Amino acid sequence: MAGFLEGLSPIWQGLQQAFNLLISLDPQILRITALSLIITMSAVLIGSLISIPLGSVIAYGKFRGRNALIWLIQTLYAFPTVVIGLIVFLFIRKTGPFGSLNLLFTPQGMIIGQTVLVLPIITGLTISALVAVDLTIRDTITSLGATRLQFLISALKEARFAILAAIALAFGRAISEVGAAIIIGGNIASPGNFYTSTRTLTTAITLETGKGDIALSIALGIILLLIALVINIVISIVQNR
Amino acid sequence: MLERMNFKKTLFVLSIVVIVLTGIAFSGCTTTTPPTTPQKQDLLIATTTSLYDTGLLDYLGGIFGPEYNANLRITAKGTGQALELGQNGDVDVVMVHDRAREDTFLQNGYGVDRRVFAYNYFIVVGPPSDPASVKGMTATQAFDTIYKKAQTDPKTIFVSRGDASGTHAREQLLWKNAGYNYSNIRASGSWYVESGTGMGATLLIAEEKDAYTLSDVGTFLAYEGNLTLVPLVDKGDDLLNVYSAMIINPAKFPDTKVQLSKDWINWLMTPKGQDLIANYGVDKYGQQLFYPARDNWELLGVTQAETQTPIP
Amino acid sequence: MIEILDVYKQFGEKKVLNGINATIERGEVFTIIGPSGQGKSTLLRLINLLDKPTRGSILVDGVDIHLSREQQAIRRKMGMVFQKPVVFSTSVFENIAYGLHFRHIDRDVIRAKVEQALEVIDMAGFDERKAKSLSGGEMQRVALARAMVTEPELLLLDEPTANLDPIATHKIEELVRHYNRESGTTVVMSTHDMQQGQRLANRIAVIMQGKFAQVGTPREVFGSPSDKEVANFVGVKNILTGNITGSEGGVAALAVDGLTVKAVTSLPVGTRVWASILPEDITLLLSRGKQISARNVFSGHIVHFSPRGPLLNVTVDCGVKLSATVTWRSAEGMKLKIGDEVRLSFKASAVHIMADGGGGPG
Repeated sequence: MAGFLEGLSPIWQGLQQAFNLLISLDPQILRITALSLIITMSAVLIGSLISIPLGSVIAYGKFRGRNALIWLIQTLYAFPTVVIGLIVFLFIRKTGPFGSLNLLFTPQGMIIGQTVLVLPIITGLTISALVAVDLTIRDTITSLGATRLQFLISALKEARFAILAAIALAFGRAISEVGAAIIIGGNIASPGNFYTSTRTLTTAITLETGKGDIALSIALGIILLLIALVINIVISIVQNR
Repeated sequence: MLERMNFKKTLFVLSIVVIVLTGIAFSGCTTTTPPTTPQKQDLLIATTTSLYDTGLLDYLGGIFGPEYNANLRITAKGTGQALELGQNGDVDVVMVHDRAREDTFLQNGYGVDRRVFAYNYFIVVGPPSDPASVKGMTATQAFDTIYKKAQTDPKTIFVSRGDASGTHAREQLLWKNAGYNYSNIRASGSWYVESGTGMGATLLIAEEKDAYTLSDVGTFLAYEGNLTLVPLVDKGDDLLNVYSAMIINPAKFPDTKVQLSKDWINWLMTPKGQDLIANYGVDKYGQQLFYPARDNWELLGVTQAETQTPIP
Repeated sequence: MIEILDVYKQFGEKKVLNGINATIERGEVFTIIGPSGQGKSTLLRLINLLDKPTRGSILVDGVDIHLSREQQAIRRKMGMVFQKPVVFSTSVFENIAYGLHFRHIDRDVIRAKVEQALEVIDMAGFDERKAKSLSGGEMQRVALARAMVTEPELLLLDEPTANLDPIATHKIEELVRHYNRESGTTVVMSTHDMQQGQRLANRIAVIMQGKFAQVGTPREVFGSPSDKEVANFVGVKNILTGNITGSEGGVAALAVDGLTVKAVTSLPVGTRVWASILPEDITLLLSRGKQISARNVFSGHIVHFSPRGPLLNVTVDCGVKLSATVTWRSAEGMKLKIGDEVRLSFKASAVHIMADGGGGPG
């Protein structure tokens, strides 16, 4: 058995190699990072386009089961990502209902998985943000003669900082998710075609460790931490506006 | 006002970072791959982690790809998962190492044109102290001894993949050959541990527990630097590890890229392909990771055609 | 312009409005006063179509607004300012332009209108200021401009100065007067500040338990409260209860706790009545001073002083407690102090008499 200090030295070496990879802008790392960002941004964009209108309708709608629906959406925040991965996998594989679209093991498939992941988060937090808009502000909007649509747009404008924070939070959840990404994406490096690669930060860390490439995993881990840091900064700026 | 400016600025800077990163990534792409004809065909392969983690397929793909204007996309799973993906037409080719399940796969019409392209040996590894003293036995004897020793000695532990992989299938076969019922082994006590994960992680678990395990030689060599475990049994027909490739039956899944799949498998069986396989990793590990199947069909117990005849 | 016909509003079990009736004329300033929680805001919200009445109807220019399909168009004829000063989290300019954007007005027209509105509220140059950084008074001025820039025929103000300091309140009142005078905008405003009602209103409605207890000019409401609750609420100090014991030439004698008060009334002898006297109508004299000819002269001693701005209310115990208003200067001149013997006098015509339990203005 190695002693504690001797045991530290491989970690130290891994760190040094990781920094070298980062400083030299290793193309593999850049590809993985860019792919992760593109996939997650697309998912968050699509998710926002669906969730924000949906959240608005639920927040200000009056219909039977509204409270139960909100409760359900908030429960889905904690939906296990591997289960999302499994469900999406079953639907998009060749023998599944959407098999003919050839989405399994593609970035598009991963975008679908992450979109499913961020939908309840953005929808739920949009609802909270809109419900938190001051009642007098809402009355003022109505009183100024807003149509239904003008009302929703104005309320969203008032809640924009909270909604931006929700989007940032969803982004953070999606980019750091690994379970669904492995099942749907398969951690495929596609050296000939960037757009058919499915190796993202999290899947690479999970599976490249299995090949013994510790330095790469550490470097990718550092990038993931930096992204989380940036997201946190965005959220705190937004909340301290 | 000021804070809002900062906020906008942050968003702006963020988007610039993303754009620049993406740009660099793409430029990296174009410089690493020569600009050939734009219509590159993707070939999707499901393989086993033990084969993928050695890096052999990436290496071979890097040579095959430019020659055939192809782009190999490989996803590494256990043999069980890889076959399951093939069974649902989710990939074009499966490359696995479990003869019995391959046979079922072919009989059920999910795969066609099996070819054997390489082999090596499984190894029984364990702590240098070798508490059950299995060094030098056959694998079947070793398993029998480990089981018996473990009944009295709490230091004798065995870590199983437990993930329906090819290696796991071989382990079950060895228990059977040693005269045990596998379900009894699983239920027989805390000496038998299932990792449920890939070969690399399983080796690390065995290392932490000072336990025995069954490994493929490639993964063991890749990890050897981080391990104190030593190979205890590495010879014998019962450890033979045969890698085959099959094309997913286009009659069942018409999307299968049949021509490119054939090209890939046939290329592996060419003398050139077989040489590349034989020499892979020798410079790094000082020993051969894979043996070419081409002239060893008798040893492997398969038909000559499976190792030599190109797929028509 | 507005007819409120027997309007009821109930929130769950809670009855808020219990049959409101009123007619509001075009161009007037109509003020609703009453204690908190009596339904002032609810009534304004019903007029602005923010809520539906449980029963009854509200007609604007003869149209029942809650049955109309043109709710949007009707609401766009109105502007409303709420008690709590709120602004949208954007610039002052965009705040005022909000309603104009909803109406798809031309950008150039919007700019001109908003600039002019800023002049009126005395905030020219505030265009790009973040509205959330304004003071409460400034926010409320912006809210007023935001409502008025759409040129509504009807301006609804729900206690617009309740959260403001006196200077800010004064500015808002000036603006309301300005809009009413210059644009002819009809104003319906709720307040719990009696003086404000007096200062601004053409007519005042006093709301009590979800009903209009009295509707009239400020002089009518403050001088002749229709019942004891109204009198109490509008701050009438000297409320007496008693029986008419005699009557001679239209002047009745009223027995109140051992005193006999002379009052002008046509009510018959034996009627149980309540009476009120405005403190301003009572003259305070030193006991040693000259004789006077008023019908009612009572002696007593000072028990309490309560300041009322530039004036001083002096409470004198004459058997019943009566308050008289004097200026600070005369109080100093007379060297008044607690316990001093003084005389109070008032005319029989200053006593406002109502049959007890009777409704309607006398």
